[in-house]
Amino acid sequence: MAEVTIEWYIALSTVLFTIGALGVLMRRNAIIIFMSIELMLNAANLAFVAFARHLGDELLGGQIFVFFVMTVAAAEVAVGLALIVAIFRSKQSINIDEVNVLKG
Amino acid sequence: MTEYAFAPLLLLFPLIGVLFNALFGRRFVQPALYEGEDQEEPVAHDHATEVHVDVYEVKTEAGEGVDVDHEEVDVHVHDADAHGALDQQHGEIHNDPTGERWSGWFASLMSLSAFGVAVALFFSLMGHDFHGAVVPLFDWFRIPAADFHVPWAMQIDTLSVTMMLVVTGVGSLIHIYSIGYMHGDPNFSRFFTYLNLFLFFMLILISANNYLMLFVGWEGVGLCSFLLIGFWFDRVDDDGVPMNANAARKAFVANRVGDFAMILAMILLFWTFHTLNFNPIFDEAIHLFEEGQAVSLFGMQFSIATVLAAVTTLFLIGAAGKSAQIPLYVWLPDAMAGPTPVSALIHAATMVTSGIYLIVRSNVLFEIVRVAAEAGDVFPAPTLVAYTGAITALFAGLIAFTRFDIKKVLAYSTVSQLGFMVAAAGMGIYVAAMFHLITHAFFKALLFLGAGSVIHGVEHGHHSLHDHLQHDDLEPEEHGFDPQDMRVMGGLRHQMPVTFWVYLIGALALSGIFPLAGFWSKDEILAHAYNPDYGFFPVYIILTLAAIGTAFYMGRQVKMVFFGEPRHPAAEEAHESPSIMTIPLIILAVLAVVAGAINIPYIPFLQEVPDHPHGFNLLLEQWLEHSIPSFHLSAEGLLNMPYKPPVFSIFVGALSLLLALGAFFLAYSVIYGKRPTEQHEEDPIREVPVFGPIISAFGVLPLDTLYMRYLIPGFNRFADWAAYRLDWAFWHDFVHDNLIRDFFVGFSRFASDVLDDRGVDGALVEGSARFTRAVAGVLRLTQTGYVRNYALGLFLGVVVLLAYFLLVAG
Repeated sequence: MAEVTIEWYIALSTVLFTIGALGVLMRRNAIIIFMSIELMLNAANLAFVAFARHLGDELLGGQIFVFFVMTVAAAEVAVGLALIVAIFRSKQSINIDEVNVLKG
Repeated sequence: MTEYAFAPLLLLFPLIGVLFNALFGRRFVQPALYEGEDQEEPVAHDHATEVHVDVYEVKTEAGEGVDVDHEEVDVHVHDADAHGALDQQHGEIHNDPTGERWSGWFASLMSLSAFGVAVALFFSLMGHDFHGAVVPLFDWFRIPAADFHVPWAMQIDTLSVTMMLVVTGVGSLIHIYSIGYMHGDPNFSRFFTYLNLFLFFMLILISANNYLMLFVGWEGVGLCSFLLIGFWFDRVDDDGVPMNANAARKAFVANRVGDFAMILAMILLFWTFHTLNFNPIFDEAIHLFEEGQAVSLFGMQFSIATVLAAVTTLFLIGAAGKSAQIPLYVWLPDAMAGPTPVSALIHAATMVTSGIYLIVRSNVLFEIVRVAAEAGDVFPAPTLVAYTGAITALFAGLIAFTRFDIKKVLAYSTVSQLGFMVAAAGMGIYVAAMFHLITHAFFKALLFLGAGSVIHGVEHGHHSLHDHLQHDDLEPEEHGFDPQDMRVMGGLRHQMPVTFWVYLIGALALSGIFPLAGFWSKDEILAHAYNPDYGFFPVYIILTLAAIGTAFYMGRQVKMVFFGEPRHPAAEEAHESPSIMTIPLIILAVLAVVAGAINIPYIPFLQEVPDHPHGFNLLLEQWLEHSIPSFHLSAEGLLNMPYKPPVFSIFVGALSLLLALGAFFLAYSVIYGKRPTEQHEEDPIREVPVFGPIISAFGVLPLDTLYMRYLIPGFNRFADWAAYRLDWAFWHDFVHDNLIRDFFVGFSRFASDVLDDRGVDGALVEGSARFTRAVAGVLRLTQTGYVRNYALGLFLGVVVLLAYFLLVAG
């Protein structure tokens, strides 16, 4: 059984980030886009933790930064979900293609 | 100098008189005007216009511009009492006799006070060995950058005090006379205001210690002359022409020509000497002349004599304006339109002599030019002065032959006598000029006041005549009755004995009959001119002819006015003037008799004074020599003034006396012996062979006709052309409208339509808007409104940045 090295973590993080980015770019459902953003954030978190361990950071800067990211994500979820609820109330839909009043 | 510190009173007294009469005079003279000041008083409004139109029985009808009743008004100003009833109908205000006395006597008192100051100055000068002083009053103005300073200071010396005595002395007598003459005139106090104002300015003129202050007086007396000639400005003649106002304007305009020359002369003096004060100018002129230094003007070098030749020639023009010499004398005869006391004071005795005063005052400048001209260096301005005076004397004398107006004869006589004085000043015999000025002031004032008395009497006679007649009975020509016309007079010696005797004395004095004042002064001039050392023999000939003429026209006048039979009923009704008028006449007559004594010279062995520079004891000569520096300069050999001791020339004296007597009697008993007996008769002199036509030729007033018929219409045409063609058509229409306005309008149109509309508005303002719109039109395509597009943009941006950092910057 091969050792789980840093490459594995990076590969997993890259896959997760790619799935998240594609989700953001391609899906129309606001909830799904939201979830994709979370996916990208967590891919970044995974990379942080993996590199922190791999580089042997004694100050645990990578791990601690993850907590910051999670805090920001939580705040973002709160704001984002509120926005989605507000949009749903006015549009009766969460399809973001229908939210295009800023179209030039 | 504290000794002369009271000198400013001389100016103060007349000024107080002016203020008194100007502010309160009418309140005294016509108290009725002020009684009901709160009530409406329509009378006061048209009062001044109403009374004056009537003097020569002008029929005041609509269209004459005088808003009075359409009814003949024949009240005479001097006769207001006799027509009281008529006045009442017109609602006129009468002069209050007490108020008249207040107004007139206050003015006379101020004049007499000034005379007292002049007398005090005279005695102060005597006490100071004739040494004058300059009494500074205040600094008029100071221009430090130009090193120019004009003080207001009084030059107290023998020359100015002589003039002060004459002006205030004769002036006081005329003031007193005027109280009688102007009696009943509705503008009584205005008259005395002007008289005092005239005295004030005349005293400024003669007490000035610099040319600018002299010029203030010079202009001031010109103003007073204008005001007083036009005193009855609202009188119109039969054709509705305001002749008095016209005469006033004529005098003013003719004087402006001379004043222009005065200003130029002052500017030249200022440029040359950087001061206008008399004594510094004279000292510096002598200094420069002795050193032969050149002065720099207009960037060129001139000798001082050249500059002074120009200055003195300009002074001559100035004096010709003020002292009525050829070519500017034409205003003086017309100035007789003023009240007769004005003619006596201003236009015979005082103001018109200021030109002579100017020349005598500037004697140093004239003598420098004379010396330089003898060397042939410069224009001989003094010679020109002498000949101008002499020719004027003859020319005006000849015109006087043809006049019938009693005052016009005297006016031309004045021009002629002023010519004598100017000729004397031009020949360099300044004392004789001043001597003749003084005696002339006495006897010409006497003659004018006498003429005023005659006119007063004849007018009175004419009005008492009117009282007996109904208006309908008057002959039509009666409306043109002229109380100054000698043809209506005759035989007045019976009605007006006092006037007759004083007038005869004046006439004889003017004619130069021994031993009256005119003989001494006129023959002093003639004797000098005759003296071959002066080189003015032609002037002697001309002046002798003029003196013959003088005697002739005075003989004619005395005969026509006082002898023979009355040629008009008005002359029969004439009676003597009141004593307030005759007493000044008698005083002047005494002066006209004895004034010759002030410079009776002549007989050397009686009066020889060995240690005196001129060797002779002459009162006026010794008195004035302290103020005529060229005397001393020639005594010191600096100037070569043609001064020769005035030895009595029995030949000249006897010849001119003989000629004068002959001419007087030729006029009195031969030519005007029996005629004219009728009012409308031809003048007998016109029937004299050869001489008659010559006289008739002068009767058309040569220079006057030239000016009034050719020069002034020509000038008017030129002015018309200048106004309508040059100014309006060319300057206004063409240059302003076509060139300037059209160019400017074209430019503004270009600026508005092209620069502003298309440039600023079109290109800049709207252009930037269009550009923004165009750019925005492209950019708006990027704003799809689809979140995923923005997210893709963000993503791609991150990819690009990552690529940049990893591949390029890394």
